[in-house]
Amino acid sequence: MHKHSPPSTKRLLKLKLNGRWREDAVSEQELLVDYLRDVTHLTGTKIGCDGGECGACTVLVDGEAVPSCITLAVRCEGRNVETIEALATQGRLSRLQSAFHEKLGTQCGFCTPGMIMAAEALLRSNPTPTDGEIRTALSGNLCRCTGYVKIIESVKAAAGVTS
Amino acid sequence: MSSSLPNFGVAQPGTIAEAVAACVSHPGSRFMAGGTDLLVNMRRGIVSPDFLINLSGIDELTAIAADAQGMTIGAGVTIASLARNAAAVTQYHALAQAAAAIAGPGHRNMATVGGNLCLDTRCVYYNQSEWWRSANAYCLKSRGDTCHVAPQGQRCHAAYAGDLAPALLVLGAEIAIAGPKGRRRIPLSELYVEDGKAHLTLADGELIVAVHLPPGAPASAYSKIRVRGAIDFPLAGVAVALSASDNAIVSLRVALTGTNSWPFLLAGTDPFVGQLIDDKLLHAIDRLVQKQVQPMRTTLASANYRRVAVAALARRLIANLGGTAAA
Amino acid sequence: MTSAPGTGGKLARRGVPLIDGIEKVTGRARYTADLDHADALVGRILRSPISHGDILSLDVSKARALDGVVAVVTGDDCSHTYGVLPIAMNEYPLARGRVRYRGEPIAAVAAIDEVTAERALGLIELKVKQLPAYYTSEAARAPDAVLLHDDKPGNIERDVHHQFGDVAQGFAAADLVREELFNCAEVNHAQIEPHASLSEFDPATGRLTVQTVSQVGYYLHLMLAECLEMDTSRIRVIKPFIGGGFGARVEALNFEIVTALLAKAAAGKVMMRLTREETFLTHRARPQTDIKLKLGMTKDGRMTACECQVVQRGGAYAGYGIITILYAGALLHGLYDIPAVKYEGSRVYANLPPCGAMRGHGSVDMRHAFECLVDRMTHELGLDPFAVRRANLLRAPTRTMNDLVVNSYGLAECLDKVERASGWRERLGKLPPGKGLGMACSHYVSGAAKPIHRTGEPHAVVNLKLDFDGGVTALTGAAEIGQGSSTMVAIAVAETLDISLERVRVIAADTAVTPKDNGAYSSRITFMVGNAAIDAAKRLKSVLTAAAARKLEARPEDVECLGEVFRVGGGDQSCLSFADVVAAALVDEGAITVKGTFTCPPEFHGGKHRGGAVGSTMGFSYAAQVVEVSVDDATGLITVDKVWVALDCGHAINPLAVEGQIQGSVWMGMGQAMCEETRYLDGLPAHASLLEYRMPTIMDSPPIETDIVESHDPYGPFGAKEASEGALAGFPPALVNAIANAIGISLNELPVTPDRVMDALIQRRRQARLAGSLKAVS
Repeated sequence: MHKHSPPSTKRLLKLKLNGRWREDAVSEQELLVDYLRDVTHLTGTKIGCDGGECGACTVLVDGEAVPSCITLAVRCEGRNVETIEALATQGRLSRLQSAFHEKLGTQCGFCTPGMIMAAEALLRSNPTPTDGEIRTALSGNLCRCTGYVKIIESVKAAAGVTS
Repeated sequence: MSSSLPNFGVAQPGTIAEAVAACVSHPGSRFMAGGTDLLVNMRRGIVSPDFLINLSGIDELTAIAADAQGMTIGAGVTIASLARNAAAVTQYHALAQAAAAIAGPGHRNMATVGGNLCLDTRCVYYNQSEWWRSANAYCLKSRGDTCHVAPQGQRCHAAYAGDLAPALLVLGAEIAIAGPKGRRRIPLSELYVEDGKAHLTLADGELIVAVHLPPGAPASAYSKIRVRGAIDFPLAGVAVALSASDNAIVSLRVALTGTNSWPFLLAGTDPFVGQLIDDKLLHAIDRLVQKQVQPMRTTLASANYRRVAVAALARRLIANLGGTAAA
Repeated sequence: MTSAPGTGGKLARRGVPLIDGIEKVTGRARYTADLDHADALVGRILRSPISHGDILSLDVSKARALDGVVAVVTGDDCSHTYGVLPIAMNEYPLARGRVRYRGEPIAAVAAIDEVTAERALGLIELKVKQLPAYYTSEAARAPDAVLLHDDKPGNIERDVHHQFGDVAQGFAAADLVREELFNCAEVNHAQIEPHASLSEFDPATGRLTVQTVSQVGYYLHLMLAECLEMDTSRIRVIKPFIGGGFGARVEALNFEIVTALLAKAAAGKVMMRLTREETFLTHRARPQTDIKLKLGMTKDGRMTACECQVVQRGGAYAGYGIITILYAGALLHGLYDIPAVKYEGSRVYANLPPCGAMRGHGSVDMRHAFECLVDRMTHELGLDPFAVRRANLLRAPTRTMNDLVVNSYGLAECLDKVERASGWRERLGKLPPGKGLGMACSHYVSGAAKPIHRTGEPHAVVNLKLDFDGGVTALTGAAEIGQGSSTMVAIAVAETLDISLERVRVIAADTAVTPKDNGAYSSRITFMVGNAAIDAAKRLKSVLTAAAARKLEARPEDVECLGEVFRVGGGDQSCLSFADVVAAALVDEGAITVKGTFTCPPEFHGGKHRGGAVGSTMGFSYAAQVVEVSVDDATGLITVDKVWVALDCGHAINPLAVEGQIQGSVWMGMGQAMCEETRYLDGLPAHASLLEYRMPTIMDSPPIETDIVESHDPYGPFGAKEASEGALAGFPPALVNAIANAIGISLNELPVTPDRVMDALIQRRRQARLAGSLKAVS
């Protein structure tokens, strides 16, 4: 959305995005979410609020889940950024993706990419989380469809944790 | 109703000296740590610095260490790493509790100790979009003449809603500050004044470098009132540090947040030393808290509710720390 | 018309993931804001800064002259009102002459980028003469209030007076009569996807293509034609993936029309993405409601009479308001057997964003009051809440006093299930201090039997296409918005044809391709579109059977269809594969297209009284639930520990999706009950963010144990009824009843936020002190 903007200071941003290094000229004020959606055309990362309130834009930066709508793109210089598009490898769904699909952890799907990325960060650091740990890890991600019941079931299924 | 950010420049200093120098050479610039407060406010158009100094590349700010002299926490340490820090969890419990209860996990991964201490004050008339504020003739805190919370008054009543400050206050924290005139160290309480429009005493170009906690902290706890179990800012919060012997108070410190334009230590707790932690004492604490907090209509939850509930929380924390049943 | 219950069932019994689920979990799903808009202009709306006033002048010349601005539109560019109800369209896409709420669109700009569009808005000069503004129903109804709409005296959009049975006699026959006031805050759908619309006008062909978040593409299509003065044949409305609706998008919305106006004026493509704040301002949700409810009950728990007054603060324009105020009265019926019901409803205009339809449309606040009062009277009479419900059950099939038809009724079984699952009998009254149990019942329609637009067309049409590839493509106008409607259609087709689900593809909601459908509202899709899909599949099956018969040289009635194999007699030599049959069917005919329809017969269209069509349906869903809470009486904070819910959806076509819908609706009821509300400060929204509009987080959300009851509706597809709205209304009263059970306090305001709970506790302490001191004096 910024590409027609009057000239603003741009700098070359080099980062690792979904496993590949790339360089782009970005404005200093470009938010990470806008960079991902508008520059790299990775629209899986969603915008649900006016800044930092809903978690729909959650991506991983160096493995940590962060809200990309209140992160400046230039802060990701030299860092490893992962989005929902990175999870399926060669078309095969990741365990979390399969579980969210099969257990109906997704209904309208709009919060889903952010929710899955937050869950991904959790499972990488804690492969067998408790219910409480799942709740804490996903507590910044709002979902309006599921009541979260099947989201918790999905994360547990992906982790191989039974109720 | 734009949600995009206006043009601004960004400096990426590698040292504290560079950061201070950048600030001095760009009047009107702002330091940015995690950005979770600043960028939200910038997106709303309520602050619009034309230059940001990104502190995230300064290694010195991210040091964290605990030893016999106490604990030093770099201002750039993230809330998430503070919440899981072993020394914080075991020795400075209120601090770890406060950190773990801030916003949501994504924010905690970004937000920093220094940023949380310098959190802007909040008000339902202030944390709104440019369209909203303009339709409401702005407010005393920014661009307007009237505080809509207390239109007859002369000052801004926006409330400070940081979680770490009360925990650090009861633990006796000092902060190290760097600025154009060099470094200084002050008790944390001196960082704040009760003015919603300018609640920080930092001079131009100054930033918090680190927080120092003395060793031998008494038992402590933090608790806050919020409608939801995550994301929300505290409607009110309270930290308590208490040492007791035979159920009698040896030392007691209580600090509050969310109720006033600054976080503050409850005054007048010295007379409680030596008293038994019983219903009578808890009642007296409750009264003292209710008397000193001054919640205003800065949130949609009523001011009286915040007053009553935070006093009840203070009572409960003291009872729990004192090992008695909550009264 | 009637479908045999329990048709097929292979897929249905295990439940299937959503057929569009993989796109969602991989991030490939394209929502409106994700569509390619690299070459689109950016649309922005100028909104009224005041609550009520006459527009004296609106000068857009400077904005128009700004470099990079391609089009500016104002109220002068559209002199047509829009809406859904033909009798209640009093809203312009851009204000003309008068503004009636803060945030109302006044002008719009299309520019080469966002910054330019914003700058252009700042150059528009607006002069207004302020008028008195009203933010409460009471103020708006005051005798000297300025009228928002000249033709609406008293600022009343609609007054409803319905009486069925002899209420006076009913109250006279009661052993206990109680009357209470309830107040429910305005709430919002708050779907996670903000509003967005992408419009493209091609001046060379004169065609307009709109991709947007609508749940009702057909109604939007009509409104676009009207407002843009275009022939309907030149318009196409396409629904991309949609990030939730819940009623937020069940009418054409101002920004959708404005985006199209801009596209036409700019002769190009315009992307409009609303902020979250603007999405809240577009509102259309559940109104703030005051309820005065009086009930009569005998000492053995029979309800004898009900008198209910409802006042809804509807906002500045009509929207769906007439329907909402009618629903509140109509759905006093159809859940219990009550011999006399009197209803007085008023829908009031106020200087706030217009309300509309939200999940459980019209029924939720009224049901809350009803179930709370029943609970209180039950306890006053020393009865058990379950026993009282059982004493007032309907017997299906039946026709209610207001002419609603109840064809299937699984409430008794719902009660049994949640009573057992929650351990009600063993646990009630034996929980630790501060903990409590509460229960309530609710119901909802499976689509309005009498459609909004009485065109004489079927209620739903589904086309099936079968061609050389052997794939069955279902074309439906039904808007998949996350509720699983496309999956439901696929299952209905696959089950009826007994083919694999993977063979079926669903194309939904593109007005150039799919048959007209009224859209995703009033839980009509499963019942109506499901029936139409089955009808279409049956027709396709007979085409295939006939082709198989020709090929096998047998009579069609002797052809046996076994999944994807057709045979006669059982011998392998008389066996055809699906591909063989398709090839045979295509001979001479080519691609096969069949059509299925569904129509609600007139006997289900509700009463002849004014407004009697509202509430009419062919199948009510029924739900009962038990809520367990813990109350912290020091802070007023409430924790919901667990919910047990049972819902009669007739038959679960996709049990997985039904469970998800039940959980989601119960949870949405929980949000309204506990923490959600939209208040205004002098007409400015105080909750126009996902921080202040506090929908529950995962930390606040309890386990929800669901049980599906199948009453096998005689008219539903495979016996199915709706599953996504019926359970919502039961949560708030079950919660409030549980709080009463826990701490003995009856709350009459929603939501029961901690400050409200604390106020009630403080008041009780005061009363206790007062009572104590009075005692001491005497």
